[in-house]
Amino acid sequence: MAKAYINGTGCISPQDSINSQWFFDPVTPPSGDYYNAKEPSYKEFIAPNLLRRMGRAIKMGVAGANLALQQAGATKVDAIITGTGLGCFEDSERFLLAMLNNNEQFLTPTSFIQSTHNTVGSQIALIMKCHDYNFTYVHRGFSFESTLQDALMLFSEGKESVLVGGIEEHTPNFVELNRRAHKFKTYDPAIPFWKSTTPGIQMSEGAAFFVLGKHKTERSMATIEGVQTLYKPKSSDVILKKLSAFLDSHGLSLAQIDVCLMGFSSDVNFDVHLKELLPEIEKETVAAHFKHLSGEYHTASAFALWTATKLIEKQELPEVLAISDRKPSQIRHVLIINQYLGINYSFTLVSKC
Amino acid sequence: MDALIEKLKGQIIEQLNLAEVKPEEINPDSPLFGEGLGLDSIDALELIVLLEKHYGIKIEDPKDGKTIFQSVRTMAEYIKSQGKS
Repeated sequence: MAKAYINGTGCISPQDSINSQWFFDPVTPPSGDYYNAKEPSYKEFIAPNLLRRMGRAIKMGVAGANLALQQAGATKVDAIITGTGLGCFEDSERFLLAMLNNNEQFLTPTSFIQSTHNTVGSQIALIMKCHDYNFTYVHRGFSFESTLQDALMLFSEGKESVLVGGIEEHTPNFVELNRRAHKFKTYDPAIPFWKSTTPGIQMSEGAAFFVLGKHKTERSMATIEGVQTLYKPKSSDVILKKLSAFLDSHGLSLAQIDVCLMGFSSDVNFDVHLKELLPEIEKETVAAHFKHLSGEYHTASAFALWTATKLIEKQELPEVLAISDRKPSQIRHVLIINQYLGINYSFTLVSKC
Repeated sequence: MDALIEKLKGQIIEQLNLAEVKPEEINPDSPLFGEGLGLDSIDALELIVLLEKHYGIKIEDPKDGKTIFQSVRTMAEYIKSQGKS
């Protein structure tokens, strides 16, 4: 399968990731049991007549895509592929609540039109006047990984540039219901995620977009070498075997990975395989993590890819991401091992170009 | 009539999420579509729902919409003519 050059990125997250200097500034993990995305002033990215109809997922997506396109210096792409676990949740909820509250009468079109999962990709296409391939993956914890796999296949088929992104938004009702179900817990900086003994996560939201190219340009920051997904692996041994085969298929071993970015969520039940895997990873390479900064959501792997790209671009592993005191001497290959709710596992290999 | 026009302005702003627009900025005689507020066909559907929800008026023939939704004043006049104000 072809590889993809990352030529532009745009990330909206609970961090100040929209600021290009963020990685150099001291990064503080958020507090609480739910992290809202730090949203920019959307007027800078979206025309007011469009803005008034958009829910937050669409705004975050369009702004994230805009940032990535700006950075890549691109005005056109051959395909737009988005991934989302829950889609435009705010408008879905608004439409359904209006149905309930008004006895299924007086239903307005706007929230219905804006509620579908593919609204983000289609709004970006409308704004860019892109009439080419447009696809949205709604594959729970594999949603973003599916966009990458599709993009890599499109490059094999001859496409030159693809915009991919992962988007997630939540609503106060969703957060409240999950709190009542004891799904969340407050972040405790004193307990590292990989040492957590209690259930619960810090859920979150955000959008990360990438302009991918088939060919290297002067703006290329890194390459995506490959992506693999694993559904409900039975043990850490299974993951390790699959990982070895994945790296082998790219002519690499774990010892050649400079940083392994792991998707610990701080939930003792979901992290069980990654915890078992950690000593094996640390034997061969430098382990790091990211969800204490991003929070957990279906497409948190998009934040991980953005982080991996930054690590390669800056050739630096910030202390806040490190799991141990070890530092890589250089960063040529970053391996992302993500998991979502202990169900969806994925490997993404990102390399210096 | 003036009170109804002011009430309508607030309802239009809320229904169409015109967060940037203040009621006093809406000229009751300016066109709602194209110029003026620059509304579009989706907004027309929202305005039909607004009339039904707040005033119990159902527009049976969509052709009537062109006359009714010319401006805030024509909307108010239509509501009044239906005895629903």
